[in-house]
This record gives sequence, structure tokens and C-alpha cells, in this order.
Amino acid sequence: MKDVKTKLVIAGSVLWACSALATEVVTHPAVPMDQLTVTQLRGIYSMRQQNWPDGTAVRVFVLPAKNQLHQAFAKEKLQMFPYQLDRIWQKITYSGLGAAPVVLSSEQQMREMVATTEGAIGYIENSDELSKLKVIRVTQ
Amino acid sequence: MNYPSLKSFVLRSKLCLLLLLGCSLQLQAEGLKTDKVQWHGFISQGLIQAPETNFVNLDDSISAELTDLGVNMSWALSDNLRLAGQVVYLDGGRRYVKGTRLDYLFLDWTLHSDFDWQLDMFVGRFKNQHWLYSATRDVPFTRNAIVLPQSVYFDSFRDIAVGSDGLAFKVTRNTAMGEIELNWSWGSTNLGKEQSQILLSTLAQGDAEQEYVHQASVFWRPEQSAWQLGLSLLDSDFSYEKADLDYYDDGAMTVQRVMLNGRYAAEYWELSSEWVQERLDISDFYAPGFKRNSFSQGWYVQGRYNLLPRTWALLSLDMFDLDKDDRSGRKFSASTGGLVPAYFGYQDELTFGLTYDFKDNLRLTMEHHWVKGTARLAYPVMPDLQHNKSEYWQMWAMQLMYWF
Repeated sequence: MKDVKTKLVIAGSVLWACSALATEVVTHPAVPMDQLTVTQLRGIYSMRQQNWPDGTAVRVFVLPAKNQLHQAFAKEKLQMFPYQLDRIWQKITYSGLGAAPVVLSSEQQMREMVATTEGAIGYIENSDELSKLKVIRVTQ
Repeated sequence: MNYPSLKSFVLRSKLCLLLLLGCSLQLQAEGLKTDKVQWHGFISQGLIQAPETNFVNLDDSISAELTDLGVNMSWALSDNLRLAGQVVYLDGGRRYVKGTRLDYLFLDWTLHSDFDWQLDMFVGRFKNQHWLYSATRDVPFTRNAIVLPQSVYFDSFRDIAVGSDGLAFKVTRNTAMGEIELNWSWGSTNLGKEQSQILLSTLAQGDAEQEYVHQASVFWRPEQSAWQLGLSLLDSDFSYEKADLDYYDDGAMTVQRVMLNGRYAAEYWELSSEWVQERLDISDFYAPGFKRNSFSQGWYVQGRYNLLPRTWALLSLDMFDLDKDDRSGRKFSASTGGLVPAYFGYQDELTFGLTYDFKDNLRLTMEHHWVKGTARLAYPVMPDLQHNKSEYWQMWAMQLMYWF
């Protein structure tokens, strides 16, 4: 019986770890900021903030709505639900208020595009491999 | 069953070609993710039936007149100047004018943008940004229901409420209290003959004109909160110039709206609600010297619940009273000598719907409406006694939609 309980606890922990992916916000290395508040990050991902303080255009990258990393990023970093982001992007796209973010197909592509696109911002899973990317600390 | 006419098929085909062109450009742009030009679009087709009413058709049959197509472009001309445009083809049966139209085409000039606040000016034909669903009411996957709550989104008013030709501003500011968004717009909509007749009935032979529509709204998203709250105001004047042979007389109308809205977002469910009070002041029009000033009221609450990973259920309650001082419609009926039944004075509606996402951009929505009253059926100024014969009526609709 004790073994079963132990297995259940382990299984639960694994499931929790899988469902709560830790994410990092990353930018192109030349972006002139080291940290952003949640409000500022929301402004960027709501496609309202168009330029970095040095005037460089902000380029926003995301993963598909059903991607686990995207869902974790929305909840953990933006403190929003993915369907709220979809609604904002659909509203600006189909009423002409702005351009939607660029949707990439994988985390690997996210790393490549953010590293090589001036003014780019995106997100990756916590990792030690951060070459050519700048990690942005997100504060309240 | 009403099948779309050959002419509308031709129009649809043209727009489909345009959509395909948009798709191909989108695909070509895949390699250039930071392109300054973006193309998007949507295609949807559905079936709808609303027997015993004039809502969709007059023969009570199942209708395929539930089509929304659109293609749009956003072109960044410089860091602070952008051109945006959208063409749509809409077919809602008798709900609004059928056909292809320029939905919006405007210049967006970003006058200021930093992390604390942004200010944009829009010049041209722009969408109504003041209500919860007004900016995208024709974009099927952006609304909770196929048929929006008629208390606020009365289809007969669609063409004059959806947008304007004029000038608009939007300010967004981050404060210690949360995010505040202010919208202001001034403009008008050119009313064609067909649109005039949807508003005033086919008896109208003269020219209706919207002199202006002036709107302002504020939305507040409190910090660390799942709420969004809003207030919006509208003021608009119309004039009518009678034809040589006309049922109506020269006249003027003023429409003023006060609206409140709120939305609460949880992970697996969501509530949205709007309340409206509308003043309608009519001078002459029915006869020289005629004068009427009335206040209608309406509200709706919509709840959505995420039943399964790709499935949402919708429950909606929508209430409308043509005269807030005569909610039963009895005085209204008496004023016509009993000719117009009291149920033309209100419309209360319960809706249940289901939405299933086959893919991230392919959705099927189905819904059923149970309705009491006919106050939000055409025509707003002339009750259609011949076709709206029942106090209690039902409607169902299903729509398949794809977007890119």
C-alpha cells in the first residue's frame, strides 16, 4: 500500500512538473533592456508597444496557442490565459488596429529567430543554453 | 431551403480568389517573418432558420444566407505610420445588406508610444471600437455566438453601428490602478437605399442620411485582476428627405446611447455583459409636427465554459424593452389602438451554444435561441405585423469557420 502511495506521489510530481513548464523571456542580444514589468510585457504582447527605448522596432514571436510552452508563458509571465491573448490578437488583426505576432512552429525556431532578428522578443523553456539570446527578468 | 443566388455565388467566388491570393502571399511571406505587410482573412458558411419571423427570410425555410468572408492587409509604411484595410462579403439574409463592401481602410498614425502610454490617430473608414464586440462583429470566430445579443447588436442597425468614415483617437495608459484605454471617434456612414429600407421598411422611398456619429469610451483593466470594465457614449443625428411619392414625411432623428460593459476571465470560464440605454427622438417623419422621445433599455449576460480541451459551451440571456417606462408593451399597443400587439414592445432571449475547434483556425459553432417578443426584429420604426406573428419563437444556427 505504501509503495502505491509513493508511486502516486512521484507520478503526481512528474505530472506537475510537466504541466508547469518554467519559461524564460528572451530577446535579441542588442535589445537595450534587462528587465520588464508584467505590465510592460503585456503591453508588448498586446502589440501596443511598438519600439524599444532606443527606437528599434519590437518584433514579437510566439508559439501556437495549443503549445504547452506558450500556455505556460501566458499564465506564468503575462498572468493571462491563452484565450485572452488570442482574442486581443484577433481583434487587432481583423479590425485593423495592428499586426499580430509572428507564430513560429517550434522552440528551436524561436531561439533562432529571436537570436537573429533585431528587436526580437520571445520565450523559451528554462535552459542553460542561452548563447546569442538575452534573458529578460520579469518583475511585478 | 434558400440557396444563394448565382450573382452572390459570383461575388463569393471573386472574394474566394482574393482570399486565396492572400493565402499565397502569406505563404510566400513565411520566410520573411518581419515583413512590413501582413495579410489575413476568414471564410465561413452556415445554416440558419428563424420560422414565423422576418429575421432571415419570409418563407420560414432553412437558409444558407449565413456567409462571412473577408481579407485584410496591414502595411507598416514607417515606424509610426500604418495603412490597414479589409474587404468583406456578408450575407445574413434580411438581417442586413447583402454584398461585398469595404469594411475599413484607414491610416494609423502613432503619435506617441512608450512603456507608459500610447496615442494613435486614425483617419479614414474605421471600425467602432467602443463596444465589446463592435469592432469584429462580422468576424465569426471573434464572437461568442453566431447571432449576437440583439439588445445591443441590433442587426438592423449593423451598417450604421459597425464603423464610420472620419477621425478617431485611441489612448492607452498604464497607471498604478491598472490599464486605462480611452477611445474617441467622430464620423458618419453613408446610407444606401437598401440600408435605408432595412431601417425604415420598404415604404421608405426618400433619402436617409446620418449627419454624424460621435462616440467616446473608456475601458479599465485593474491591476492584478481578471476584470475589464467599460463605459461608452454615443450621439448621432439622422435626417430623412421624402421622395415625391412617399409614405413618410421629411424628418429628423436623434439616437443617443449610454452603455456599460464588463468581462471576467477565469481559466476555464468567462462572463461578459453589456447594458444599454438608448434615447430615440423623432421629429416629424411620420407626419408634420409629429414628436416622440423614448428611452429603450437592454442588457445581456453571456457565460462560456471550457467543457473539454477544444469545446466551449455558451449560455446567454438577452433582455430588451423598447420603452423603459412600458416594459410590458401595453401602452405601446394601446397607442396604436391595439393594432400592434404588446409583444412588439420587448424581446427576451435565452441562447445555448456549443463551439468545437477542429484546429486552431477551424471551428464549428452551433446554437439555439428561445425568444419571447419581437421588438428587435425589422423594422425599427414600422412593426412588421404580417411576418412577425408569434410572441414566442425559436431560432437555430450552425456555422463552420476558417481563418488565416
